[in-house]
Amino acid sequence: MLSKLFYYPVIVDNLSYLLFGRLAQGQPGGLLLTVLMALAAIAMAMVLGFILALAHWFSPRGIQRVLWLLGEIVRGIPQLLLIFWFYFLLPMLLGRGAPDAVSVIVALGLFNAVTVMVSVLAGLNALPGGQHEAAQANGLNRWQTLRWVLLPQVLDHIVPSMVNLLVALIKDTSLAFVVSVPELTMVSTQVNNREQIYPLEIFLFAGALYFVLCSLLSLGAGRLERRLNRRLGLR
Amino acid sequence: MIHYHFDWSAVLSGAPLHWIVSGLWVTFNLTIWSGVLATLLALLLLGMRLSAYRGLRWISACYVTLFRNTPLAVQLLFWYFGGLQCLPGSWRDWLNTSHQLGGVHFPSTEVLVGVWALTLFSAAFLSEEMRAGVRAVSNGQFDAAHSQGFSHWQSLRWIVLPQALRYAWQPLIGQYLSLMKNSPLTMSIAVTELLYQTNQIESFNLHAIEAYAVATLLYLLLGLLLSLALQQLGKGMFVSGDLHVK
Repeated sequence: MLSKLFYYPVIVDNLSYLLFGRLAQGQPGGLLLTVLMALAAIAMAMVLGFILALAHWFSPRGIQRVLWLLGEIVRGIPQLLLIFWFYFLLPMLLGRGAPDAVSVIVALGLFNAVTVMVSVLAGLNALPGGQHEAAQANGLNRWQTLRWVLLPQVLDHIVPSMVNLLVALIKDTSLAFVVSVPELTMVSTQVNNREQIYPLEIFLFAGALYFVLCSLLSLGAGRLERRLNRRLGLR
Repeated sequence: MIHYHFDWSAVLSGAPLHWIVSGLWVTFNLTIWSGVLATLLALLLLGMRLSAYRGLRWISACYVTLFRNTPLAVQLLFWYFGGLQCLPGSWRDWLNTSHQLGGVHFPSTEVLVGVWALTLFSAAFLSEEMRAGVRAVSNGQFDAAHSQGFSHWQSLRWIVLPQALRYAWQPLIGQYLSLMKNSPLTMSIAVTELLYQTNQIESFNLHAIEAYAVATLLYLLLGLLLSLALQQLGKGMFVSGDLHVK
């Protein structure tokens, strides 16, 4: 009865491929690759984003303008175009082929690094000026002030928004299917091409996997934020 | 890298130029049509979310959660492969043959599905920005309107919504820009928009860098123009200082 409405055997038959891809052959794919790519991209976004924010913080105005302009360009074009840039540029720069997944991770990482840079800078600027002055009055230099006084406070506020960034990244890794990286969306189209007549079942299931993953993470982010706010005595 | 020969005429003349121009036109149309339709749907979702009926509020909330927590790529593939399959066969046949509508080509199935998916996806985000705008309007405005004899809908339409849209206008512009930047995803179902055409140049003469550089500039330019136009529209709708929707 249920299988008439929603032909679930097609999901059952392809479940391990949808979840893990060809993991047994040493090539992770499906949902697993989606999560791996999102984690790699957010790690890159965090590290690069903080480096960019520090560079911005310590730079003269001219370089700040250049950084800002580069950020506007990266965030002003479609992410898919950014992916194609790296898809064609990375092999040229490296002189050899790079795995397709890498160009997607680099593109998504760079795009979100700009987001991290902007939110770190916004966090730094939102701190009361007294923090800076008090640290300087205690004999800390500019770098020490930033490292021991300002950044820890910014970090507390930024962690929950990073979970939201991870949620966005999990959805954005689906762009990788355009360059045939075997993440969840790509393996879903492969299964769909093979089975032909169950697109509703296959894409509903893929959508449900993304939905559950993203909703759980969002819920977690909300809790984390409330806990942090309580700890900081904000609410 | 060293052996790469830049040749801008490989992109800016002949067939490639023609492809770029036609791709730009398709991108422009995708953005405008989906933008207008998504705005209407977002207003409907907002109205449902603010209605007195729990059922309507629930449907609207579910819609927003569902469409925001799944990737556009999956939604697009779902509509293209699954949605079309659900249509009656005669409808599909009609869609798959070309038609004239008042001397203009009726859009292809791919374009229609592209607009459909972009509209449904973007409406969820637009309506959330609008709702944030409504929350920013003080409750006193509602109460005052009620006390003047406005019904629930009248106060929403004439008192609260104009203020809410004004508060939400900047984030809304951001969402319209996102819509424009999401439109290249439709290339995966063979909509011949700008990025699709750019890739075509790459496979035609291998001048990837020039082609992507031109596409980058065009997307930036399009974004700039769209944002300026929407700022202007905002100025026209919300007469400065005074709250007033034409």
